[in-house]
Amino acid sequence: MKQSLPLWQRLSVSYLMSTVLFVGSYLLARLLLRANISSPFNILAALLPVPFAFLWISKFIQHIRQLDELQRRIYLEALAVAFPLTFLLLLTLGLLELTVNLPAEDWSYRHVWAMLPLLYFVGLALAKRRYE
Amino acid sequence: MKNTLRVLRAERNWSQSDLAERLEVSRQTIHAIENEKYDPSLPLAFKIAQLFGKSLEEIFFPDSD
Repeated sequence: MKQSLPLWQRLSVSYLMSTVLFVGSYLLARLLLRANISSPFNILAALLPVPFAFLWISKFIQHIRQLDELQRRIYLEALAVAFPLTFLLLLTLGLLELTVNLPAEDWSYRHVWAMLPLLYFVGLALAKRRYE
Repeated sequence: MKNTLRVLRAERNWSQSDLAERLEVSRQTIHAIENEKYDPSLPLAFKIAQLFGKSLEEIFFPDSD
């Protein structure tokens, strides 16, 4: 793959496929768990995304390794924004839950992980803009 | 850090993509170096110097201030 291609064009098909599989397996797990399936199938359903997550992580690392030094720095800066902000959100919601009864469906820290990719893309946009 | 990369590239009529391909980096990296938004690593700086047949000091200069 040519290094001169923009970052988004250098995402490999296998990386994109692994992302689709991971998200798909998570959504399927949620569907299965909502259907109240019996034990031990409910545990299997809950663990369904795990192998796909590992596949996605390995493809993500492969993707990072084929980038050049500036692109790696941009990814690192994006994570440097996303990780502490997610941590802060988790910490704040955790402390608030000690004093206020937060509705689990809307505000529980269980949903915070979904903020990580969102904040990551915010960080990615900020870092990319910095080097333009 | 300042540099003369844009001038050297123009002298050879290379586009940023041409230079990126020769150095095996992204066009974005060349753009960032030329605009002095990013200082290349020492290995990349040496690669640039080697490509243009110049020493590092002839291409990269410290900021005056």
